[in-house]
Amino acid sequence: MRFLRTGRGSRALAGDLGQDQCLIGCGLYPLYQLGNPQLRLFRPNWALTLVRPGREQPSDTVQFRIPMEMTKCDVKNYLEKIYNVPVGAVRTRIQFGSNKKRNHLNQKVKQPDYKVAYVQLSQDQVFEFPDIFVEKSSEDGEGSMEEMQKQFMEDEKQRQRGDPRRAGVTEWFGL
Amino acid sequence: MAATSAGRVLALCKQFQNVVRISSTIPSQHTGICLTKSSLGRQNLLAAPACHIGLCRPLHTTISRMGLNEFFDLPENWGESTVKSGAPWTVKLLRSKSNEELHKLWYLLLKEKNMLLTIEQEAKRQRVQMPSPERLKKIERSMQRLDTVVEERETALRLLQTGQEYARPADWRRNLFGKVVWHRFREYAIPWYLNAKYKRRRFYTPSFVEPHIRLRMEKNLRARARKADLEKKQLAKLKERFPKMTASS
Repeated sequence: MRFLRTGRGSRALAGDLGQDQCLIGCGLYPLYQLGNPQLRLFRPNWALTLVRPGREQPSDTVQFRIPMEMTKCDVKNYLEKIYNVPVGAVRTRIQFGSNKKRNHLNQKVKQPDYKVAYVQLSQDQVFEFPDIFVEKSSEDGEGSMEEMQKQFMEDEKQRQRGDPRRAGVTEWFGL
Repeated sequence: MAATSAGRVLALCKQFQNVVRISSTIPSQHTGICLTKSSLGRQNLLAAPACHIGLCRPLHTTISRMGLNEFFDLPENWGESTVKSGAPWTVKLLRSKSNEELHKLWYLLLKEKNMLLTIEQEAKRQRVQMPSPERLKKIERSMQRLDTVVEERETALRLLQTGQEYARPADWRRNLFGKVVWHRFREYAIPWYLNAKYKRRRFYTPSFVEPHIRLRMEKNLRARARKADLEKKQLAKLKERFPKMTASS
């Protein structure tokens, strides 16, 4: 991991590059002792996934899938510092990935567990998961004659455009 | 008096002209690599060349933040089957960037990755194909490369300042069983002479272990000899069956 760490849940994301960045690359959390400055977190590699809630949630609640090692405080800091989203409260739980499936050798196959965070927004903000796979009204359907013709014309144009590295110099000059 | 005021006005006009010129040149410099359309649309950070950072500063405006909408693609890309994207950042390109730029770029890549993961999950849920799934791999590669570049710089700095080869210091140490192991040091809250648990660990080989070390060596040698012997025998057998066989095959 690429960060410095303090005690549980009290990490801070570093907006600017600090002076002491020599410890970022090491794979171990540095020891935290009382009175030390709060350890900073450079280049966090935590990836959040915003998911559509399965059960109906209040309108100000957003559901995320977060890495296991992330804490509530981390989620709050992450959203406030990187995305500038006002966070009121965070609740987390760990979802058990099913191990019911069997493979062809009749061994149990485990789906990975993941952590779910329910983030309640503050300042009366509301969030609704948008429909990102809207059907675009295309005038000609997939695989139709017009579509194919269009594709063909595009390909031909691309072919005749030539090498961009030659910067418009004619073929006659080159080798 | 009139002359000075006229001169001041002229100077002001010139400054204004300069500002206009700078601001007009900035949008035309989208020459760098841009990962996807969305990142270009949101921030010009990816595209801004290093030499113009100083020029841009007086004209800098804060990045447009869209809050949770940054977890989704731009609305005009919704429902598209393919989304155009550029090449991943190469190590060569990243090496030419300053630390600050790399730091900013990391966060851009992170946001892009979050967005793509969100789209992927939603596509999985609705059982439709994700538009241009190769973007995820590109982002991951870019992040990995950025990491290598930063680590390179850290190593260089560390070598200059302290002469340590590794970020986490380590040493070859002999353990209780006579084996030489790569011992990685770690931090302790108290000094070693107060640390009873640390003092219990032994980094030397007692003399009564020596015969066992010899036995271990013997075992290894025998195993190696047996393996070589087996190979030899197999080869001989093959030679007997196929006399015309060449040694290489």
